[in-house]
Amino acid sequence: MENSVEETAIGVSNLGMEDPNGPGETASKNARKKELKNKQREEERRRKEEEKAKQTAAKAGSQVQKSVAADDDDMDPTQYFENRLKYLAAQKSDGINPYPHKFFVSMSILEYIEKYGCLSNGEHLEDVSVSLAGRIMSKRSSSSKLFFYDLHSGGAKVQVMADASKSGMDEAEFYKFHSSVKRGDIVGVTGFPGKTKRGELSVFPRSFVTLSHCLHMMPRQKAAPGSDNANAKKTDVWVPGSTRNPEAYILKDQETRYRQRYLDLMLNMEVRQIFKTRSKIISYIRSFLDNLDFLEVETPMMNMIAGGAAARPFVTHHNDLNMKLYMRIAPELYLKELVVGGLERVYEIGKQFRNESIDLTHNPEFTTCEFYMAFADYNDLMDLTEKMISGMVKELTGGYKIKYHANGIDKDPVEIDFTPPFRRIDMIEELEKMANLNIPKDLSSDEANKYLAEACIKFDVKCPPPQTTARLLDKLVGHFLEETCVNPTYIINHPEIMSPLAKWHRTKSCLTERFELFINKHELCNAYTELNDPVVQRQRFAEQLKDRQSGDDEAMALDETFCTALEYGLPPTGGWGLGVDRLTMILTDSQNIKEVLLFPAMKPQDEPSAKATQDA
Amino acid sequence: MEALKVWSLSTKPLNLRPLIHLASSSYSSFATKRTVSTSVRCCTPPSTTSTRIGGAPNRRSSTSPSTSDRDAVRAIRLKKVEELRSKGFEPYAYKWDRTDTASQLQDRYKHLPNGESKSDHVSTSGRIVARRAFGKLAFLTLRDDSGIIQLYCEKERLLNDQFEQLKTLVDIGDILGATGSIKRTEKGELSVCVNSFAILTKSLLPLPDKYHGLTDVDKRYRQRYVDMIANPEVANTFRKRAKIVSEIRKTVEFLGFVEVETPVLQGAAGGAEARPFVTYHNSLGRDLYLRIATELHLKRMLVGGFEKVYEIGRIFRNEGISTRHNPEFTTIEMYEAYSDYESMMNMAEEIVTRCALAVHGKLTIDYQGVEISLERPWRKETMHNLVKEATGIDFNELGNDLEVAKDVALKTLGKEFENKDISAIEACFSLGHLLNEVFEIVVEPKLIQPTFVLDYPIEISPLAKPHRRHAGLTERFELFICGRELANAFSELTDPLDQRARLEEQVRQHNEKRAAAASEADCPEEKIKQNDDDLYEVTLDDDFLTALEYGMPPASGMGLGIDRIVMLLTNSASIRDVIAFPILKIQQ
Repeated sequence: MENSVEETAIGVSNLGMEDPNGPGETASKNARKKELKNKQREEERRRKEEEKAKQTAAKAGSQVQKSVAADDDDMDPTQYFENRLKYLAAQKSDGINPYPHKFFVSMSILEYIEKYGCLSNGEHLEDVSVSLAGRIMSKRSSSSKLFFYDLHSGGAKVQVMADASKSGMDEAEFYKFHSSVKRGDIVGVTGFPGKTKRGELSVFPRSFVTLSHCLHMMPRQKAAPGSDNANAKKTDVWVPGSTRNPEAYILKDQETRYRQRYLDLMLNMEVRQIFKTRSKIISYIRSFLDNLDFLEVETPMMNMIAGGAAARPFVTHHNDLNMKLYMRIAPELYLKELVVGGLERVYEIGKQFRNESIDLTHNPEFTTCEFYMAFADYNDLMDLTEKMISGMVKELTGGYKIKYHANGIDKDPVEIDFTPPFRRIDMIEELEKMANLNIPKDLSSDEANKYLAEACIKFDVKCPPPQTTARLLDKLVGHFLEETCVNPTYIINHPEIMSPLAKWHRTKSCLTERFELFINKHELCNAYTELNDPVVQRQRFAEQLKDRQSGDDEAMALDETFCTALEYGLPPTGGWGLGVDRLTMILTDSQNIKEVLLFPAMKPQDEPSAKATQDA
Repeated sequence: MEALKVWSLSTKPLNLRPLIHLASSSYSSFATKRTVSTSVRCCTPPSTTSTRIGGAPNRRSSTSPSTSDRDAVRAIRLKKVEELRSKGFEPYAYKWDRTDTASQLQDRYKHLPNGESKSDHVSTSGRIVARRAFGKLAFLTLRDDSGIIQLYCEKERLLNDQFEQLKTLVDIGDILGATGSIKRTEKGELSVCVNSFAILTKSLLPLPDKYHGLTDVDKRYRQRYVDMIANPEVANTFRKRAKIVSEIRKTVEFLGFVEVETPVLQGAAGGAEARPFVTYHNSLGRDLYLRIATELHLKRMLVGGFEKVYEIGRIFRNEGISTRHNPEFTTIEMYEAYSDYESMMNMAEEIVTRCALAVHGKLTIDYQGVEISLERPWRKETMHNLVKEATGIDFNELGNDLEVAKDVALKTLGKEFENKDISAIEACFSLGHLLNEVFEIVVEPKLIQPTFVLDYPIEISPLAKPHRRHAGLTERFELFICGRELANAFSELTDPLDQRARLEEQVRQHNEKRAAAASEADCPEEKIKQNDDDLYEVTLDDDFLTALEYGMPPASGMGLGIDRIVMLLTNSASIRDVIAFPILKIQQ
């Protein structure tokens, strides 16, 4: 028996070995396909062998007992679920609590690998006791007396080699217990560390307890049952700034991935790294600003007026106060009020809400960081932005250059270079140069409006009504300038008519001191020297009202409280906003905003969500 | 250096003197004007390092400036804006390069003896909060984010006619940038000896007088920025708030927790029992609820394999406002796999004491005149024992008859109860509810020193795991300090079947209450209002139950009210003092 144990262990440890070709970013598509096919064939062969071994083992173990694991795979999901419920009911009626209150974990799997990874092949430390816990992502048995599990936790995995002779149970008891342990269950094991002869680090349990039960069949890749291991290996190498391929995930179905994110996180190990990266991005911003003596504050998410941006707000109602409230679309006005109050450097990282349709770059709630810095102007902020963004990319990815599938997952990724300084292009000047235009200087004139409308027709740039000058310009800039902004680029000095809260330019008439940072053709930051002249601010709001009346429902509404605050005096201030979700998308090679939101907004679903996993 | 443009143009001094009086004293009494030196009280309490500005307190009996005063001041100051522009100065500058903040200067030159100067060139900026002007000398008090510094303005030292400009065009409330050298006056006031200055932002409205600014509570909340200008200690509360949040974050990050963001807008609002806000998403064509807790989504993360997660975020409840309640408030919720509620008690102690040390540097703090000791360990007592201790009623011995138990409670405590308490007792529909009701009425207000109240009845704890030893109870605690609940934690319920049954029971109970409320349409007004509170819909979060079916590890979780911790540690009586912009009733 001893021999066959080691043999199985060999087969198992092969599973966990690195694929020498790896997920090879450089390997061509064909090579990768070929490699995948080979692997699948090999897996298939191995699986068949394993099955055979299992069957023989089962026969050897007991005549009546069948290989449960083999049966489970073919079972109807509903049947599977009901069987599991029956099992739980039986446990409860036997007076056993199937959901223990606590399991003491002595170390994480990651720590375990660090501590015992250096054991030599075949070495066992029988006088050491460790307690590990996690989710079983794969289960194999070589006989009724020997079961192998892959235990996953904290993004790492370790093999559990459960041997009847070490379990303190008799063989029938042991077999019965381990037959009840299913792929997906959360278990705690206490045992000793060791390595198999082929060098697979394992834990050899003396006790084994199921802590929580997976009542549903866990989706798996039928063609390649062992590929979850390959996937687990892959997470070790995925770092922010490198490419991803969700098409190769075990759980591919997007609906299921987004609706049941926990399955996505369990099965597709890279996904966990996306959200860790997101968390790191936010931490980086926070510590960057904290180091500059900025103060983190919280301003209301529900307001009487939705100001600070131009967008359709969500409306709600406060019952007790009988008051209509809007969800905020930007924290800008409140933050500036705090600067008026004497907090010279403030920031807020938080959710904004816009009642817009959902697409690849829009979710009804999204996260921004806005900061306001007294006595600074937009030139200072451009320097600061460069430092922050390029520093962040360096810290997270190790360099300034990242790879991103800008043209879809089936095309080669583009390289985005964050090396500072970033390119700066003057909006109107550059537009005139590129499109060979001569835009009338007075942009608020009818003449300018007419000129731009004609330019749009000439270049076949679509601008749905209302064709306000601001909207026409925006479309032209999108067409000519934004298209050129793959590497981080500042588009600067926007016209006043497009920027109701930005200060007029100190030397260029009709323009403002504003910049937008574009990366991969998308706007990431928007910043300006803040308009702090209350008289001019009121005029700007009045002009917005005109646009509103001409049908532009995204024109900004007047906020009287804010204007009054300006009358008490806002110091010269630079203000800045960043879309956290979009930045996370770029650094995690995500083409869809839903990839970087744990629970993105989804259309209502008719059938119960559990069903969705069946076709995964 | 656009903004540093010095006042080099030679201009004829305008005869604005009468106007200045009007401007600078419109919020002081018109009767206390003097002709030569304008003395205006500082609207801040002078810091310990600054001498008092002005002579005897200039108490005024007049009320806040009336609207017409304000309009007059605005008109005058708008004229000054025009005048500045006509002379080529921009009254709303673009930037200012400052070498030092006020506190950096105070710190660097703290050993400079009285009457001595330093020729160091410094540049600073801030808001003028007080000034005294004499023939050839003027003192301005400049306040920035960090503190206060005096500007010492001598006519000879200032370029050209800047001194005249100072007297005619600068008002209290303006934001100024100044450069010069350093001097400590004979009276011991550290000052910047100004060579040149620039108006960076011209203020149009007068700052409120300290006394009135303080007393007008409503205005304090509606115009928080005015409150902060008039009362620097208000800004300090928000600085401390930032420090507390940062300390909490540091503590949990150090322990390996990962911060995540879960949705505010949800298809079903679960994780607590409260009336949610409802909104409508146009393109999805459906109602969405604002979250009333982050619990159910964070638990999904545990299912997904994150073993230590937390979220600091805004929670929304469509409830009345009070000194303890704002419709939106901030909590931290944290979840840790493989632990139970014992470890969350430890965590609560750790977080609150670290915050106290960060803010006060000690563990004995004063809250509204009561001394609170945060020395660990904190008292732990079960809810049953606390009720027994306070009332003599042992709920363990009352048996299972709810009516009998109610009688006992009413008889024993009838005298202490107010009418609303009695009806609350009568409305209880389980022993667990009754125990909790008695606890809330009798015990809660008395829990002044930190106390963990343990083992809540199962009927009122739908998300907590059954107690491993005591039937009918759960492994749950709440932390009370100063009679207020600060934290709520439990060993999390992980059994999906039990969880489904409990949530369905909750929905059933709620619908019963709703039906009862709807049928009692003819009762007195007060009661209708009370019933109205139950008239919202409760929906079952089926997706959450499905997630549990995939298996959640044993875990404990805790929610901490950050606003309440900030109230405690900043000695603030009302939640409105710790929220920068609280929600207020619509102004008449």
